[in-house]
Amino acid sequence: MLKLIQNEWMKLWSRKSSWIMIILLAVILFSSSAITKWVDNSMNTANTETWQQLEAAEMANNLILLENNSLGDVRREYLEGEVAIAEHRLENDVAPFDSNSMQQSVIDSHALMSLVTLFTVIVAGGIVAAEFSQGTIKMLLTRPVKRWKILSSKFITTMLYALLLAVVLFIVTAVAGLIFYGVSDGTYLVWNGSEVVEGSFWLEGLRLAALSFVNVLMISTFAFMLGTAFRSSSLAIGLSIFLLFTGVQAVFLLANYEIVKYYLFTHTDLTQYYTGFMLVDDITMTLSVIVLFVYFVIFMAISYVTFGKRDVTA
Amino acid sequence: MNEQALVQIKNLSKTIGSKKIIKNLNLDLYKGQITGFLGPNGAGKTTTIRMMVGLMKPTEGDVLIDGQSVKHHFEESIEKVGVIVENPEMYKYMSGYKNLLHFSRMHKGISKKRINEVIEQVGMQNRINEKVGSYSLGMRQRLGLAQALLHKPKFLILDEPTNGLDPAGIWEFRLYLQKIARENGVAVFVSSHLLSEIELLCDRIAIIQNGELIDIKNVKELQQSRFYLKAEPLAQTEEILAGIGFPVSRHDGGLLVETEPEHIPGAIKILVNAEVSIFAIQPFQATLEDQFLELTGGGEIAQAHTK
Ligand SMILES: Nc1ncnc2c1ncn2[C@@H]1O[C@H](COP(=O)(O)OP(=O)(O)OP(=O)(O)O)[C@@H](O)[C@H]1O
Ligand SMILES: [Mg+2]
Repeated sequence: MLKLIQNEWMKLWSRKSSWIMIILLAVILFSSSAITKWVDNSMNTANTETWQQLEAAEMANNLILLENNSLGDVRREYLEGEVAIAEHRLENDVAPFDSNSMQQSVIDSHALMSLVTLFTVIVAGGIVAAEFSQGTIKMLLTRPVKRWKILSSKFITTMLYALLLAVVLFIVTAVAGLIFYGVSDGTYLVWNGSEVVEGSFWLEGLRLAALSFVNVLMISTFAFMLGTAFRSSSLAIGLSIFLLFTGVQAVFLLANYEIVKYYLFTHTDLTQYYTGFMLVDDITMTLSVIVLFVYFVIFMAISYVTFGKRDVTA
Repeated sequence: MNEQALVQIKNLSKTIGSKKIIKNLNLDLYKGQITGFLGPNGAGKTTTIRMMVGLMKPTEGDVLIDGQSVKHHFEESIEKVGVIVENPEMYKYMSGYKNLLHFSRMHKGISKKRINEVIEQVGMQNRINEKVGSYSLGMRQRLGLAQALLHKPKFLILDEPTNGLDPAGIWEFRLYLQKIARENGVAVFVSSHLLSEIELLCDRIAIIQNGELIDIKNVKELQQSRFYLKAEPLAQTEEILAGIGFPVSRHDGGLLVETEPEHIPGAIKILVNAEVSIFAIQPFQATLEDQFLELTGGGEIAQAHTK
């Protein structure tokens, strides 16, 4: 199996597009930090308030939100935590990170994970389909290796590429933050449910990135399935990217129906349980994990069955 | 051939939709023997080969390679097979060498030394580090042969392998196949349109038409000497010759007699004694091609000749 993955890895990097995507990712991240910095510099009238004023304003705002009785549990807990942290900061004079700082960039790095999804989908949709369109599939399948092993090596390679992109995302965001914003001397605080404690921004950034990675995993598995079942990389990539951008919108359309709870895109963003921005109120992390798992198994089953049974006439 | 067959095609059938493309094909292939697989376009050669290597699932029947079923023991049986199905398609964006490295990793225990050995055998050492996208058809064909030979298969299947090779390449290729068949006991199965090519290359020929195996012949048998005889009265001549044990058939207003030259004077004597008038007798040089056309009804393969 290791040798098969080695093969897929070699093929992946023999194509220029794999390099271009990774370079493009780094360039986009770098320039977006640079542009933010430039925009802030040219209109630095905004930052006249002290952090104390900002915290107080946000706390007041959160308290108003908390008065709403129809608030979901996750959202309520989150807001309560935010209020507790703000109180703690003001009482003990502990400053937060500057919104433009290396630390805050690390925490927010997951926000651009959809770029990783986008690039991974291109690989996932093409990795099987290309073998069919190039006709190389017949050379690949007439080896003493069962079809499911070949498909697995392709899936694992896709995920390794995604992981690499995610690591690049994380590192480049941190480096760009350091270069353009510098280190802020604030402290990262978290609400652990009963008290406010100091936390690591690195861990927080990693945790959010890992949760966002689930989104990458789901969408690229979907693209992988389409590429395998229809043997057309353009169809797989096009449809997956379309869903990547519109799938979440549909959550709002479906919000009043029961099926929204079983709809994939209600659950793909797991960071919602940490950032409090719930798409639908009455879902839980456990439900999300179960729903995602079921979708994943279905996508995989369709891929393996179609790939294993297909008569190859390419 | 009383030896156990290396490859047994058993009752192989394929139905796509309502169309039966391959009909109950039975064929044994032996060690050290080169078998040609001949048939007009669309006869089902490629489909048969696809089923033999597991690219397509047979609707019925199975293929045994060295006693192991392709259906049930895919890895064990395919290990012994080297194959080119139609044109060998390679990864165009990688060098020839990387392509071979890629395929070698899918077999057990192929060393770098073995890869280089095969590259030399197919005469690709000068261009092997260039991208396959820049290769000519013949060079891709050579690389295709290289990937099929990497793991020293006991059984080699080639679907129209000489397509794109230059005459020197075809000649080399023929000698090479005959060598590995003879020296390493490899069983070779070659489909081709070039009948003259098959005639020179193969020991045995299996002829397929409309998905049915219609004949299996040894090449020597096909090249048996025959004589064309024009005589009057024809019916009587035929009767006499058949009566004394010559295989006779009608052809072009005369008769075809299957026999060795030393029997001809005797036969003429008998005919003259029976007062038959003989107008002509001459050796009949039917090429395999003519016989093939005869067998398959002709016509259909016309376009194959110009290929
Ligand atoms: N996927 C398919 N669906 C329907 N019919 C098919 C399919 N593949 C092949 N056929 C039909 O099966 C028959 C045999 O095709 P095959 O490619 O095996 O012929 P062949 O002997 O290799 O011909 P050629 O000499 O042209 O290479 C043809 O009539 C073809 O139209
Ligand atoms: Mg064919």
